[in-house]
Amino acid sequence: MAFVKRSQTTTVGQDERGYSRDFEGLCAELEAPNPTARRWAARDLAAHPGAAQVLIARLEVEPDAAVREAIMISLTEIGDAVTVQGLVKCLRSEDASLRNEAIEAMKHLPDTVAPVMAGLLADPEPDIRIFAVNVLESLRHPDVEQWLIEVISEDAHINVCATAVDLLGEVGTEAAVGPLEALKRRFPAEPYIEFAADLALRRIRDEG
Amino acid sequence: MSTPQKRILVVDDAATVRMYHRSILEGAGFEVTEAINGIEALEKALTRPFDLYLVDINMPKQDGYAFLRELRKQDIPQTPAIMISTESESRDRSLAYVAGANLYLVKPIKPHELLANCRLLLGLAGGAE
Amino acid sequence: MSKLTISEEDFRKFREFFYRKTGIQFDGGKRYFVDKRLIERIEATGSESFRSYFTMLRFQASGEELQALTNAMTVNETYFFREEYQFECLVNSILPEIVKTKKPGSTIRIWSIPSSSGEEPYSIALYLTEFWKGIDSWDVELISSDIDTDILNKARNGKYSQRSIQHLPKDLLQRHFHKTGDGDYQISDDFRAAVEFTRVNLAEPADTRPYRGFDVIFCRNLLIYFDDLSRQKAAEVFFDALNPGGFICLGHSESMSRITSLFRVRKFPEAIVYQKPEAR
Repeated sequence: MAFVKRSQTTTVGQDERGYSRDFEGLCAELEAPNPTARRWAARDLAAHPGAAQVLIARLEVEPDAAVREAIMISLTEIGDAVTVQGLVKCLRSEDASLRNEAIEAMKHLPDTVAPVMAGLLADPEPDIRIFAVNVLESLRHPDVEQWLIEVISEDAHINVCATAVDLLGEVGTEAAVGPLEALKRRFPAEPYIEFAADLALRRIRDEG
Repeated sequence: MSTPQKRILVVDDAATVRMYHRSILEGAGFEVTEAINGIEALEKALTRPFDLYLVDINMPKQDGYAFLRELRKQDIPQTPAIMISTESESRDRSLAYVAGANLYLVKPIKPHELLANCRLLLGLAGGAE
Repeated sequence: MSKLTISEEDFRKFREFFYRKTGIQFDGGKRYFVDKRLIERIEATGSESFRSYFTMLRFQASGEELQALTNAMTVNETYFFREEYQFECLVNSILPEIVKTKKPGSTIRIWSIPSSSGEEPYSIALYLTEFWKGIDSWDVELISSDIDTDILNKARNGKYSQRSIQHLPKDLLQRHFHKTGDGDYQISDDFRAAVEFTRVNLAEPADTRPYRGFDVIFCRNLLIYFDDLSRQKAAEVFFDALNPGGFICLGHSESMSRITSLFRVRKFPEAIVYQKPEAR
């Protein structure tokens, strides 16, 4: 048989981890020409609480999707207010994948996202309000239902309400019944709103 | 129906939107399969090709543009695709066409609008209303 | 007897949530199975109703209950030639593509994780020996890892019950196993020597850093039990461990669509697998 065994050796090349692993070294390496080196730097920077700023800055110019993913994971682990500010900036990006990556990272940060949520839901841009509702989809925070109720009660844009009503099918309780009925009256000629609101209402009422 | 049932893949991360599209399309005799994002859509499309793709733009893990680009690269380049978005700005519209969409629709979509456009792209009678 | 019931809308709501989280889709035919498992978990967690249980599931910060429920909803057992179509894919599609890019004389490296009690890595070794002509001309290094040292010792020992080996073809069993005094079957020393068993914690960078230069990774029915971020980090580990163009095989109910977009979806006649993009 041609099965062979080698002794396990560390094969991390010098090209990947050439710089010193202190904060300055990692920041320099985050600009390295080799994407693998940049990924390693992005990952090791997760251990430095002050790294959010530099990671966010790199995110805006980073062309490699794998490096961006590593940066997003590190940002999720750092998860401070600077991180959230930076992620909010990404929501305004022209790049759809960057926007979606930022939404996903924010879903993991309920405690730091909560203080900025009201502001995002009141943003003048309907797209930003939709992305904010997208963040609520998996956010583990006790105010999620209340935020969604406020959206469907107050937001003038149909697609912001449409996105929120989808989530109320999952997290809605009796508290959402009145607002869902009112939403249907507010958009009487919209089949999607009627469909989604009726679905959410059915689920809420059906429950024990 | 005399013609074989046309198969449509509905790609959207919102469960309610998928159900809404499904109810309209199944009501008109189409066979509907759902996918939650671009990667799952590609897995399903490569396993068994569809006659039409109905694709949302903003989705986690892989957005609609990336899905269409990959679909057009990997196979079945001629299958029609409708891109659906909540955004109506022209930048999204042009990006959708560059990625390989045949049509761009803006949410919310009325049932007759969805059906007419699907029939149109599938070359079925009753496409234009 | 339980008084708890799961209504039709409860079932639908749960089904959508579970699909979004895991990619597993239950149709109406699975209703009885799903209800039964749900009621078991509702009772085990001391929840009053489906509603309170679902709220906990949706909002729990640790995500522990989702993991416990996923465990209850999936059959996590291991036996020889489980999900055999993937081994067929390995020998018929993946390896032929890999060897095209390899210089003669170089080694093909395969990583199987989790090793569990060894059924999967030994299945790979058996499959390569029995069904892959290339085994005569290529060296293969087969490493299998697990976090649990006890289970690794069991794997190294290579002794299995009748249940573990029931899907193996008889002739193959005769050639490569011998019956032990207590009625179990032990795999031959050749195979025990063919697999390198190592202890690895996927969440520990110091553990995973040496794992580089693999052509194929089997990681079946493991990531589905991880939370979102741990999964994504495990996928990063695999990305680093693979050569450009290398492949990763997940379990039949798992999909990268819930984890990461780092890999390309590749469809082969036997299976869908994921490929690390070639270096640009």
